[in-house]
Amino acid sequence: MYSKTIRTTLLGLAALSLAALPALAAGSVGETAPAFKLKGADGKTYSLADFKGKTVVLEWVNPNCPFSDRHAREKTMSELHKQYGQVVWLGINSTNPEHRDFLKPAEHLAYNQKNGVNYPVLYDETGAIGHAYDAKTTPHMFIVGADGKIAYNGAIDDDPPGRKAKVERVNFVGGGLTAAKAGKSPDPSATKPYGCSVKY
Amino acid sequence: MISPKSVLLAAAFAVFLLAPGPARGTTSEWRKNPQSSVRLITPWVVAPRSGDLILGLQFRLSPGWHVYWKNSGDAGFPPAVTFQPERILGKPELLWPQPSRFDLPGGLVAFGYEGEVVYPVLAKILPGSLLPPPPEKRDKPESFRITADLDYLICEVDCIPYRYTLTLDQRVDFPALADPETGPLLDTWMARLPRTLAEVPDVKVSTVLDAGRQGPPDFEVRLLGVAEQPGKTNLFLESNEALDAGRPQVRPFAGGVVFHVPMKPRDAGKPLPGNLEIGWTATNLSKDGQSFDLSVRHDVQVVAAAAQTPGGKRADASPRRLARLLLWAFLGGALLNLTPTVLALLVGEMLSLRGAAGGVREGAAAAATGIVGACWGIAGLAIAAHRAGVPAGWGAQLQEPAVTGLLAIASALLALNLWGLVEAPLPPAGSPKTGTSWHLLAGVFTVPLALAWPVPMLQEPVGYAFGRGPATVCAVYSIIGFGLALPYLILTLAPAAARLLPAPGPWLPRLREGLGFLAGASTFWMLYALSHQVSPEGLAGIELALLGLSLIAWLRAREGVRGPLRLALVLGLVACGAAVLWMAELNRMAPRQVAPSQVETMSVPAAEALIPTKILDPGLPPDAREPLPNQTSGG
Repeated sequence: MYSKTIRTTLLGLAALSLAALPALAAGSVGETAPAFKLKGADGKTYSLADFKGKTVVLEWVNPNCPFSDRHAREKTMSELHKQYGQVVWLGINSTNPEHRDFLKPAEHLAYNQKNGVNYPVLYDETGAIGHAYDAKTTPHMFIVGADGKIAYNGAIDDDPPGRKAKVERVNFVGGGLTAAKAGKSPDPSATKPYGCSVKY
Repeated sequence: MISPKSVLLAAAFAVFLLAPGPARGTTSEWRKNPQSSVRLITPWVVAPRSGDLILGLQFRLSPGWHVYWKNSGDAGFPPAVTFQPERILGKPELLWPQPSRFDLPGGLVAFGYEGEVVYPVLAKILPGSLLPPPPEKRDKPESFRITADLDYLICEVDCIPYRYTLTLDQRVDFPALADPETGPLLDTWMARLPRTLAEVPDVKVSTVLDAGRQGPPDFEVRLLGVAEQPGKTNLFLESNEALDAGRPQVRPFAGGVVFHVPMKPRDAGKPLPGNLEIGWTATNLSKDGQSFDLSVRHDVQVVAAAAQTPGGKRADASPRRLARLLLWAFLGGALLNLTPTVLALLVGEMLSLRGAAGGVREGAAAAATGIVGACWGIAGLAIAAHRAGVPAGWGAQLQEPAVTGLLAIASALLALNLWGLVEAPLPPAGSPKTGTSWHLLAGVFTVPLALAWPVPMLQEPVGYAFGRGPATVCAVYSIIGFGLALPYLILTLAPAAARLLPAPGPWLPRLREGLGFLAGASTFWMLYALSHQVSPEGLAGIELALLGLSLIAWLRAREGVRGPLRLALVLGLVACGAAVLWMAELNRMAPRQVAPSQVETMSVPAAEALIPTKILDPGLPPDAREPLPNQTSGG
């Protein structure tokens, strides 16, 4: 019984170590995108590995952040997702369940429906994947190329206060997806993200 | 008798005197929301017709809320403002007083202001833009309306963006007339702006971005002719297109201060240019008893040759490199088993496992669990130390006298244990106490013993991990733990291998006593390290406390020592251990290198600069380096 506990502990520590390994690949453009397997607000499980060979956009979201909310209401992301239909778009919410911004799945689904969010939102309640990507703001955008590497890391556009008309903004993700479609690298490949801090 | 007219006049005068707010025309209306108030101010009741016009954006913030510096940090954005009329004011520039650092959940950081802040605005009334009024209007006061369209974000943990249009009517005429309230207010905030190099001619600056080193690129700012204000001096970097900045570390040295900042390229696949424009502000520097900030923006030389391939690509952070780092972490961990103290414990524990009461497999699994679990604990402590501003990294622990003292106690205890004077971590030879918990304890005890040895192979993986974040630190320390636990993992998987070990016999106590000298030698190694960290008097005190610890252990091991006397001796052992730590901290020669709450740290340069040679080389000045390129003079 006692020895079984010891063995279980050892196996648990090994599992913890393996769980922390995605962090080793964190970060910059050109590096391999950290793998993840997360549950969506819709109850389904999504894994980055499921989309191997496809371009994937990852958007860190928090409906209670005014920036995330503004882009949802303005349909910045939804329209871009629609425009680039072949691209996989995943929202990731790394908000700590203890934080007042945290939304339960049913609330998140209702919010998504109300604002026309047409892509799955995944729950990263421990923040492990957010830290693995070094996600700092909501929104914080990543484009993962078909080769599995991070092709873009940064802001959605060049208008943090939202002063400009939508057509006047330089949408970095849109530009990056157009470049990716043409087999080119996004330019710029990295910008400073803006918005609320991720509520880890 | 007082007429009603006189009463009315007196009342009107009193209302005029008691009217709230500053003189009209020098401020806009306050725009208020639950978190803040903001207004536009001018120092002039009557401004000159041309020349500089310093305006101000004055914020009053509710407790806990902050607005941003020009680099907002990991989140948020700085105030954005446009002024009209452009034909008179041109394009005014927002100026940035000394910022503060705000730590946010998840290890994120923001730079900005809380309480009250006035952002000075450098505007200029363009020559000829204000023509003298025609003669028929010269009897009326001349003015123009200044409009500021302002967007700002205010954050506590949550953030709220606001947008206001602020207006004020600025009178212009000759002679100019300053406002007695807003003038001094703006002067106060202008005085809080960082100085330029030209304003501090005796201060010299050299900077370099070392991207050719192991681990993340290091941005070094070296200031000569200034002194640190312990706990206050800090460095703030402006946003940069190519690099993200980590947490700065500050170190004083003879004649100046040096900052190191770990940098993270935003695009790992793109080579850094030979020169990179970087802006930074060093705050709370001291010179001739005066405190000041220094702001510099200049081209910084990038040293990258060693890390770049002929094709110009930076050293990769590819899966191949990660695999290599993990392999090094594992091998480095395994190599620690050959260091004297760990080897002494390993041999003793292996022989103990040979006759383990609970079975070889269970005992070995317990020891391995103890090692890996303790490595996670050490990772947690290292992360906490890193965040508190204490240098962290494999071997960096040897910079702290208290930690070195603790390691000296651990190795001394192991020596006394092997000599049969104390009962832990290994049970006495031939003792029936060979249950699983003893093996678990031996495993846990292995890790602090291993910390005493700065194996170079571990520096890159650990440095890399601290450049990445807490999860990576845990992963790397865990892999080191598995390497350190390798002999026990082998026995867990193949318990039959224990039969290769010699059966316990009369030789065992002799061997253990011999191993005790190996552990004792390690205590001297720690004392040698301490000799460069504490004063000679402090070292003598520490040695005396360790001698006392040994004496009490010897007395306690005598036959017939029981009951209250035995308890008193145990308390004596604890007191001697505490005395070692107390004297190590009390007699440290150099002040703590960073202030825990104010200045954040980075691991790699500290670890690489100080282990293993620098802290043990008494001939080397604290911060000796080759002269750096790109030296800029204040004059």
